Amino acid sequence: MLTLIFLLVPPGVATCLATLVRPYRRLVGWTSVTCGGVSLVAAGWMALTVVPGRGPGGQSLATGAWHIDPLSALLAVCIAFVALLAAALGPGLSPHDAHDATETRRFHIYMNAFAFTMLTAVTIPNIALMWVAIEATTITSAMAIPLNRTKASVEASWKYLLVCSVGIALAFAGTVLAYFDFVATAGQVHAALNWDVLRTAAPSLHPELLQIAFAFILVGYGTKAGLAPMHTWLPDAHSEAPSPISAMMSGVLLAVAMYAIARWKAVIDASIGPTFTNNMLIGFGLCSVAIGTLSLVIQQHYKRMLAYSSVEHMGLVSIGLGLGPLGVFAAWLHVMNHAVAKSMTFLLAGRILHRFNTTEIARVSGLLRVMPWTGALFAAGGLALVGLPPFGLFVSELLLVQAAIAGQKTWLAALVLVLLLTAFVSLLAHLNRMLYGQPPDGVRVGEDRQWSTMALMLPACVLVALGVVLPSPVSTLIHQCVISLLPR
Amino acid sequence: MLLTALIVLWRKSVPAYITAYKWQSWLLAAVTATIGYFGGDRQLYWVAVVLVALKGVAIPFLLRAMQRRFSALPETKPYVNTETSLLIASLLVLFAYVLARPWVMVSRLPTREGLPLATSLLFVSLFIIVSRKKATTQVIGFLMLENAIGLLAAVGTYGVPLLVELGVFLDALMGFLVMQIFVYHIHETFDSIDVEQLTRLRH
Repeated sequence: MLTLIFLLVPPGVATCLATLVRPYRRLVGWTSVTCGGVSLVAAGWMALTVVPGRGPGGQSLATGAWHIDPLSALLAVCIAFVALLAAALGPGLSPHDAHDATETRRFHIYMNAFAFTMLTAVTIPNIALMWVAIEATTITSAMAIPLNRTKASVEASWKYLLVCSVGIALAFAGTVLAYFDFVATAGQVHAALNWDVLRTAAPSLHPELLQIAFAFILVGYGTKAGLAPMHTWLPDAHSEAPSPISAMMSGVLLAVAMYAIARWKAVIDASIGPTFTNNMLIGFGLCSVAIGTLSLVIQQHYKRMLAYSSVEHMGLVSIGLGLGPLGVFAAWLHVMNHAVAKSMTFLLAGRILHRFNTTEIARVSGLLRVMPWTGALFAAGGLALVGLPPFGLFVSELLLVQAAIAGQKTWLAALVLVLLLTAFVSLLAHLNRMLYGQPPDGVRVGEDRQWSTMALMLPACVLVALGVVLPSPVSTLIHQCVISLLPR
Repeated sequence: MLLTALIVLWRKSVPAYITAYKWQSWLLAAVTATIGYFGGDRQLYWVAVVLVALKGVAIPFLLRAMQRRFSALPETKPYVNTETSLLIASLLVLFAYVLARPWVMVSRLPTREGLPLATSLLFVSLFIIVSRKKATTQVIGFLMLENAIGLLAAVGTYGVPLLVELGVFLDALMGFLVMQIFVYHIHETFDSIDVEQLTRLRH
């Protein structure tokens, strides 16, 4: 219980403080960072207490209305980590920034509220309240997008708000349908909307109803997760949002939506067996990988490039979730790797944007000469995203392909490999254009804010660590996630 | 209630849409209260009261305020004309009835006949959102979509637990307020609330 308080309360406190203190003071920024740190420690501690569980599903901490199992702990660690990075590297800590005091204040309010809603979404066991929290993430993050109110950013946030609200409303329709079936069979029961209760009751529910419910849920949460063809809001919102917010949206918000899908899949599978849900997930996943990759090829803006790469990676996660135990393992490992890699690259993209003042790939050149550290780290992040060793994404993508082959889906493995190769070539070509060449006139040469560059080394190190050794607590945690999602 | 959604497809002025939405919300509250009466569930009375206060009074009031502010703006044509959209809506209603047939079989509740109705309302609201160009109309479409889901929950399950219902209300209110803020933003930055203008971001 105490850990949970330390996990959830700090972002709440930081939000309130940022709201109350006006005009913005540097102190608020540091409080956000401290609160982010406390949250991360709590999440880590939670994960450690969950891991040594001897039972097959790992231990779970159940306290009152809250319930933490390995999967919640995994997501909580990712969210807290990315939120801390965003707080530490966002505007408001150094005297010279791209944003003025009002904008910085708003950033800190919505950033912390955003982190709070996401952490709530993954730790609450009630499916309907989880829906409420996920809808709240849409609202808080939409408010954070137009910090600089330009035509493009207003347009992006309107699309985001409308598309995601409608999508998420459909997910609620799905939730209501499943609950309706439950009530029709079992009558009103206490805590009927909790995962475990629904899962235990699932075998007695009506398959045809659950199929439709899952279709609603997958389309609904899939919109939020950026699965194609419902991904239309994603590149706009991710490219127009301030970089720390893009990092959070791309790194963990999409993963939270995938978490919701995975939870529902466990319920539906208990009733109708995994074939139906697997096929749907693989279908949507393949579509996303294809659209993400092909859009990468024609991309002219580097932030949109990163956004489409998110579509591609969420597609991979979705395919993984549909490929049985090994695939699910690969999927969650991939979620973790992607959270770290994508938040790092988005934050670096923010620094590049600040210096070059453009998001066009063609107008950024000589990055390695202008900002040696940022350039090198951006290159590393890019290479990680295309799945090169020694970074973690290589391992998870390899496992994914293995899972496809082991599941007698060689065609799927081949298709995914071809698409990954295309993504590899096009991303590398874009990176090449940005990193080398003559720096454009009027761009100042030299790195500034050394400590924040050093801070961005951290995610790179984490990625390498996940790729080279895959620490045993992490693999145990993910293993337990897989077990907790499998049919009992 | 379905009729109120069809009015939106048929009429062309925003005040008419707002009135339609208001009637729809009052009807939803009435349905909820009736179910509460027959099902003997006290909680549903509270839900109905909140429904009337929030969706029947507060949101229409705010919508009207927004409408007054933008009343000078010219009306824009929807993507689909009235006749076609009524035709499409009727097809959607048919589809909803076909889709909801198995659910009616499953349910033992006396309210099960309302399920296809709720589903058709859901589809028609979706259609309103995609076929209209004005940001205000899209917001109303979204609000109607929420009413549809509320109806689905009420007739299908005798209402979800009160805590959940409150959370959903809070989200609906917040979502609506934020959307309202963005309508003003769009108006300020584009001098129009026609979403046709929002084409800056492609690929």
